[in-house]
Amino acid sequence: LSLFFFFLLKPETAAVLKRTVEALMERGAVVRNLENLGERSLPYKISKHKERHRRGGYFLIDLEGPPSIVSTMMDHLGRDIDIIRRAFVKHPVSKTEECSGMIPVNYEDKLIAKK
Amino acid sequence: MAARRPWWRLVPAALWRQPRRLQHERQPGRPDQPIPMENPYKGPPKKCVLCGINVDYKNVQLLSQFVSPHTGCIYGRHITGLCNKKQKEITKAIKRAHVFGFMPVMFKNPSFLTDPKICNIKYPE
Repeated sequence: LSLFFFFLLKPETAAVLKRTVEALMERGAVVRNLENLGERSLPYKISKHKERHRRGGYFLIDLEGPPSIVSTMMDHLGRDIDIIRRAFVKHPVSKTEECSGMIPVNYEDKLIAKK
Repeated sequence: MAARRPWWRLVPAALWRQPRRLQHERQPGRPDQPIPMENPYKGPPKKCVLCGINVDYKNVQLLSQFVSPHTGCIYGRHITGLCNKKQKEITKAIKRAHVFGFMPVMFKNPSFLTDPKICNIKYPE
């Protein structure tokens, strides 16, 4: 249950994506969804693999797989020149329905030493 | 003399002492006293700005609203006025966005400078 996000450069995005997805499937992960978050200029210049990048395409892959893949994949993608940055993120579970209002904080109780 | 103690130590106090009654407890046989209950005129609980909104590291616009435009530092709780949970979530999301390369670190994205102000920060003149 995780998300995987990376962004890369270069006009041959299709080939890179294909490579990564194949690598993921090899390790036994099930790819649910692949999203393209657009190509935009990076917020700061990133120098990776002896090259300074200013623009990049962001991609988000919805994965399901065993947690043992993570380290192997990070290694594998670290060696890929086209991928500038990679990250695994846990699938966000949204719990916003329970938000009860703000409870006024009792500052006096905080000052008295807690025992 | 059974024991060298005063009589009021040997006999349990329930027998001879006057029964102590708390002022705010119901007293038997007094129907006109006020009935203890929760405040019926209590208003709805105060909600912070993000109370129903899901915070994501991807929507940079929302996150940039809680960041200083000059230095890019995250505003504290006394400025944003968010509740505990949401402040923590926002901080974590902003940090993530920095690392993943979504949001600039040292400044605020210039396209988001004209967003409505949520934080009540007072700049020195």
